[in-house]
Amino acid sequence: MSTFKDYINGYAFGIKSLLIGMRTSMKVFMQKKITERYPENRHTTLYIPERHRAMLVMPKDENGNNKCIACGLCQMACPNGTIRITSETRETEDGKKKKFLVKYEYDLGACMFCQLCVNACPHDAIRFSNHFENAVFERDKLILTLNE
Amino acid sequence: MNADNIILVKAEDLYNEASRLRYDAKQPMDYLRDIVGMDWGEEGLGALYYMECTATGTRMVLKAVTADRDNAFLPSVCNLWKTAKIKEREVFDFFGIRFTGNPDMRRLFLREDWKGYPLRKDYDMNSNPLNMENEENADVTEEYTLMPDGTIKGKENVVFGSEDFVVNIGPQHPSTHGVLRMRTSIDGENIRRIDPILGYIHRGIEKMNESLTYPQTLALTDRLDYLSAHHNRHALCMCIEQAAGIEISERAQYIRTIMDELQRIDSHLLFYSCLVMDMGGLTPFFYGFREREMILDIMEETTGGRLIQNYNVIGGVQADIHPDFQRKVKEFIKHLRSVIKDYHDIFTGNVIARQRLVGVGVLSREDAISLGATGGTGRASGWSNDVRKHHPYAMYDKVDFREITRTEGDSFARYMVRMDEIMESCHIIEQLIDNIPEGEFRVKTKAIIKLPEGNFSTSVESSRGEFGVMLESHGDKYPYRLHYRSTGLPLVDTMDTVCRGQKIADLIAIGGTLDFVIPDIDR
Amino acid sequence: MFDYYNLEPVLMWIHSTMCGLMPEWLAFTIEGIAVGIFIMVMYAVLAIILIYMERKVCAAFQCRIGPDRVGGRGGLLQVPADVIKILTKEIISLKNSDKFLYALAPFLVIMASILTFSCLPWNKGGEILHMNIGIFFVLAASSIGVLGILLAGWSSNSKYTLIGAVRSGAMIISYELSIGLSVLTMVILCGTMDIQEIVAYQENGWNIFKGHLPALMAFVIYLIAGNAEANRAPFDLAEAEQELTAGYHTEYSGMHFGFFYLAEYLNLFITAGIAVTLFLGGWMPLHIAGLEGFNTIMDYIPGVIWFVGKTFFVVFLLMWIRWTFPRLRIDQVLILEWKYLMPLSLLVLVIMTVMKVFGLVF
Repeated sequence: MSTFKDYINGYAFGIKSLLIGMRTSMKVFMQKKITERYPENRHTTLYIPERHRAMLVMPKDENGNNKCIACGLCQMACPNGTIRITSETRETEDGKKKKFLVKYEYDLGACMFCQLCVNACPHDAIRFSNHFENAVFERDKLILTLNE
Repeated sequence: MNADNIILVKAEDLYNEASRLRYDAKQPMDYLRDIVGMDWGEEGLGALYYMECTATGTRMVLKAVTADRDNAFLPSVCNLWKTAKIKEREVFDFFGIRFTGNPDMRRLFLREDWKGYPLRKDYDMNSNPLNMENEENADVTEEYTLMPDGTIKGKENVVFGSEDFVVNIGPQHPSTHGVLRMRTSIDGENIRRIDPILGYIHRGIEKMNESLTYPQTLALTDRLDYLSAHHNRHALCMCIEQAAGIEISERAQYIRTIMDELQRIDSHLLFYSCLVMDMGGLTPFFYGFREREMILDIMEETTGGRLIQNYNVIGGVQADIHPDFQRKVKEFIKHLRSVIKDYHDIFTGNVIARQRLVGVGVLSREDAISLGATGGTGRASGWSNDVRKHHPYAMYDKVDFREITRTEGDSFARYMVRMDEIMESCHIIEQLIDNIPEGEFRVKTKAIIKLPEGNFSTSVESSRGEFGVMLESHGDKYPYRLHYRSTGLPLVDTMDTVCRGQKIADLIAIGGTLDFVIPDIDR
Repeated sequence: MFDYYNLEPVLMWIHSTMCGLMPEWLAFTIEGIAVGIFIMVMYAVLAIILIYMERKVCAAFQCRIGPDRVGGRGGLLQVPADVIKILTKEIISLKNSDKFLYALAPFLVIMASILTFSCLPWNKGGEILHMNIGIFFVLAASSIGVLGILLAGWSSNSKYTLIGAVRSGAMIISYELSIGLSVLTMVILCGTMDIQEIVAYQENGWNIFKGHLPALMAFVIYLIAGNAEANRAPFDLAEAEQELTAGYHTEYSGMHFGFFYLAEYLNLFITAGIAVTLFLGGWMPLHIAGLEGFNTIMDYIPGVIWFVGKTFFVVFLLMWIRWTFPRLRIDQVLILEWKYLMPLSLLVLVIMTVMKVFGLVF
């Protein structure tokens, strides 16, 4: 007889649990939805944190000068070979020889956003920006020249 | 922290010595943490056996070397620890050391027609050009036996015979959680045998590490088990800091611990979602993702990344916590505590879910230890294996938390352990979040980090088990060998033991509750 | 009482007018073709509505919005766009498949579905296939579908499809018992198998009220078993995505797959439609005894609206179930049928018979 009782209890437990489940799903059915409408909300509710790493940039001051001294530490720190620096040695006005940056190439397609280059930079000449809409149709366009 | 204490044994004595330690009366070394293959150049090839006694927590390392590079043989220890079977295959795959007595000596990660053994130091990097041919999986494997006269005899073992009806589950399959392939022999709906085929996304991270500086190696850890990104990086940072003697600030310790626990909640929420989806319930899937999104938002604000976060660095953390961090974390925990009831109402209590999980895929405590199934899987079988408790690191010896263990060992226990751990992690965070001490978040380190010679290892409790870092340094700025103890590899290995005799639908549910992540297995 | 919307006189008038203009055989042929096209169009339109509804309802259960891009904020054109896409897709042919059966299977499935669809009582006099064993014919015709599923699984020559088809065969044949028994319960209550007469019997009260407890139980059993018949979650293990990728239709593409997909949604509608016919009064309006004014207003609403409205209500109920529960395992599905539902439906059948004999139903 106890097995019959178990059978009936099993029935009751099963139906109860199913009804609780349906109550829960109906509760969520009534709740506010959480979908973000992306391209429409990019100027309204979209929030990309300041620290988000989307691409490497080289900030410039109002005269268009950057702080890079072409030391090459970032290039050495990069595990992927993403950065390529071309520099030339010029003589400054007071007669000293100094390296100048000619071209700072950065391959966004190969970057893995590890931040080692930013950490290595002694003059804070580079940083990561949160500008994330970087999709392009050709791979070549991902190779950026940052000092331009 | 000193370098690991390593006991050197002769190759021919390895089995006897391991057997003595395994069945020691006082301290049986019943848990084999890992086997790390090594190429010591002149000294020869060999392996390090990392062992632990589950009763006392004592750890030991055995080292066995064989000088013969062309015909390297070591005795197998797979009779003592079941997990050795698959770990020895990994060593064979990368170093070409054959283990006498291991019944399965196929390659583990690489193609069967791969030439050479890539982690040997003399490996020619150009010897395997890109191969676009299909790989034919052999149904037989070789076993080597050491004869009394010292010669080695080969024997063929059959993996799948002609009477097996083999169904290929994966590598492209909705519920293998990545590119895992399981050749499954079935009898009607019942499973007879599972043979996992790995390596579809093997990236050779351990090989890459040998040519990267220590800070650079950090960049790859987040890409192992992406749901334990913080834990992985935490382990490697700890290992390097301990070896280099860098003392990090208390503030950094607090932040690291909070981040670890947030990551654990994140991972377990994803576990819930994926398990429910694997079992056909698509609605609760979104509940888990809804809450996980909030964690990712919180993390992104502080670390700048959502999945690949690059937050821990040698000497501390990359950046100080965001000003809103504490407030948002507290709000989130409050929110999570209020919605977790929905999770249980819709799924845990559901009669269908119970029928599908309770009593299905039972893993005994002995098997869990022998197979090295750490984390929630082991704890569901009654094996208290939480690294946070037994080998505390960061702030874990100062906070009060419960190690969740259950004794049933079935899928439901594995599920409940993880659900309870979510609440326990909330509890840990609540103790820390208001008490983060002032101080620097990152101590200054030398520009070029060199580690002293020796072997160093650390382990942390990642979201799905013990994640270990085994590092050998020869005093350079590059590691000589850097090995990661994968949390997922023993779990995948467990599939065969657990699934036999169950139904195909159970295979999916069991796979979901074992909770493995493929990039961590394949490395 | 409410014959304003009776379609029969209109249809008879059309028929007699056409017979006056042309020979009778030609009139029948033209009418046949017209009705056929009408069914097809209705079938497609309803499928589009149902798919749209499923997407929106499932999204709401999952705290999402659902389609909202194609066709304005409501995403109204999303499903038509998908239909056009699926129509233009290539139908692949497999190397080692049984070509004839492989091509035949989707047509069997859709044929069974359309045959059952034609039996639904849309309105007074608005039933396309009318016969005095109507409900029996529905049961018989819907069973052809399982043949299509088995053939699809077998002829694709793939391990996944075969497992899916075998699962489906075992499940559908089992659940037909419960469906049959709960239908039989209502046939006993109404005393007829004619669908129009079953609806007519409910003129002064729906069956679910007339037959009270046993009818309610039969309704629940019918919904569960009907859900299984339609291969929908939590009984979708024939196409269990997480286990068998797509089950019996894994190897189908383009419109061949589209047929399975269409049939799945229409089977949902048919299951709900038959449930409405048997339990919820078909196209009969809702009457509350004593409220004459209310009843008269209800009478002014056409029967087709009542029928479609009630059917969509039941469809929503089925979607609610689908988007709440995890999937059962094959042995559990069979245990549920043979150990729980079948004994219960037999019991309900006996209770109903006893009550009918002793006049305990209204």
